[in-house]
Amino acid sequence: MKCCGPGYASPAEAVKAPSEKLLYTIAIYTGTGIQKPDYLATVDVDPDSPTYSRVIHRLEMPGIGDELHHMGWNACSSCFDDAGMSRKYLILPGVRSNNLHIVDTATDPRAPRLHKVIDGAEIKAKTNLSGPHTVHCLGSEIIISFLGDAKGEAPGGYLHLNKEFEIQGRWENSMGDIKFGYDFWYQPRHNVMVSSEWAAPNTFMPGFDLEEVGHLKYGRELHFWDFEKREPVESFYLGEDGLLPLEVKFHHDPDSTHGFCGAALSTNVIHWWKNGDTWLWEKIIDIENEMHPDWPIPLPGVMSAILISMDDKYLYLNNWLHGDMRQYDIRDPHNPKLTGQVFLGGLLGKAPTVNGVEVAGGPQMFQLSLDGKRLYVTTSLFSTWDNQFYPEIRTKGGVMVMIDCDPVNGGMKIAEDFIIDFGKEPNGPSRCHEARYPGGDCTSDIWL
Amino acid sequence: MTTHTVTITNRNGATFEVNSRRPLLGQLRDQGVDLPYGCEYGGCITCAAKLTKGEIDQRRQVALNNRQIEHGYVILCVARATSDITLEIGVESHDKLYRNPFLDPLQPHELKADIASPKV
Repeated sequence: MKCCGPGYASPAEAVKAPSEKLLYTIAIYTGTGIQKPDYLATVDVDPDSPTYSRVIHRLEMPGIGDELHHMGWNACSSCFDDAGMSRKYLILPGVRSNNLHIVDTATDPRAPRLHKVIDGAEIKAKTNLSGPHTVHCLGSEIIISFLGDAKGEAPGGYLHLNKEFEIQGRWENSMGDIKFGYDFWYQPRHNVMVSSEWAAPNTFMPGFDLEEVGHLKYGRELHFWDFEKREPVESFYLGEDGLLPLEVKFHHDPDSTHGFCGAALSTNVIHWWKNGDTWLWEKIIDIENEMHPDWPIPLPGVMSAILISMDDKYLYLNNWLHGDMRQYDIRDPHNPKLTGQVFLGGLLGKAPTVNGVEVAGGPQMFQLSLDGKRLYVTTSLFSTWDNQFYPEIRTKGGVMVMIDCDPVNGGMKIAEDFIIDFGKEPNGPSRCHEARYPGGDCTSDIWL
Repeated sequence: MTTHTVTITNRNGATFEVNSRRPLLGQLRDQGVDLPYGCEYGGCITCAAKLTKGEIDQRRQVALNNRQIEHGYVILCVARATSDITLEIGVESHDKLYRNPFLDPLQPHELKADIASPKV
């Protein structure tokens, strides 16, 4: 089916899209000791290009200290029928500065340009929000989760922007009894949004004090919202199985009620679905802690991200501290099967060097091609947390690797002809994080 | 207005005059000191510096745990000088700011002020 707006008619159509030739990743200097702005890097991922596997453009933000982190598009397949919309702008929040950078990626996709900055102070003044994280569009509007109020206290709320990037105020009508915010995803055909919990900005921004988990300063609940009423209606207390529930993904199939969350510290995957009128949840993957030979406390994997392939067949997850990426076949979402695993950095010393580059950090953020064959992985989590667990990242910088994935039979293998060493950036070692493709990706598009 | 002298050891002992009413970050930046910073409300630790001599008031900070305070760290975006002070600035001063919590746990009295127990 051909239409006029951005994105694809269905997930099945998205899978058939042309391969990505460019991707964008943010790279930070915040917290590194280099007094330069964070930037958006354009990476050439076209294997036929002479500059394949290199950064070909860098768009610096106007100020220092933003800590760019996650990104989101102004429009996705939720606007597929709307000829007035296009996937033109990438929104880059600064977690620390509260600034929102609106970047035009369409005028020259290889060299994105800054379109507008929404000043962090204005957002605080108008909405009492700070600590922006996840960006999703809904139709022609944009909502962004913020993890704190203007003073960095939880639970924060949701900023609503219109398509001209003007502040419309708070999106939600109520935060109910929610204690913390983080990620969210919605499935409009079921009138549901699910949100997860990290911690207050004042808790997670200075670094990770493990002891604060026991003092209930980190989250352990998932929240189900009435999406149209914009208020939470049910919460699941995950307990010790769900410490730091971070990334939330529904199936891409808009009719499905199945969704998944990675509980970072417990290093578990939580699965939920609707049975009749009842939402149910279960733990489907539990990664065991490992002992480091010299440390007193067992080391969790720290599953900071999960991703579902566009065909809903595979779930990918990381163990940032153990240093591995895994692929699970989730065609039966109650019984995932491990089908692939690769090692990359990590604290257990299993893969200190990849394609000739010494890896500081472990697999952290990742983005999968729409056809499910290429998984791009970066190694930095968050500046202060990097500095705690991987202090050598200050001089080595982050890396981006590509993993070849088999979407038919399962399996993963690190591509030998691709690596980007952000330790060699012109202004000194920077740290790359989330990646996005100009044509949409596996973590952006939602179907109405 | 009370003014104090800030000496920065890792900038060749350069000295700057500051008043006691405004936070150090803005006053030092205004005088040309290139300092890292992030949230500007005392919550994110990006601007942490190490105080090696003198007194400051940083009651508004909420980022540091008691061990970090014990090591002399101050949050420049909210800290005000209440005497002449000596600082080390920037990431070079962060040698004791970060720790791996699985390798080096905090004692109950070393947590952030709102949850710390008294030292026994």
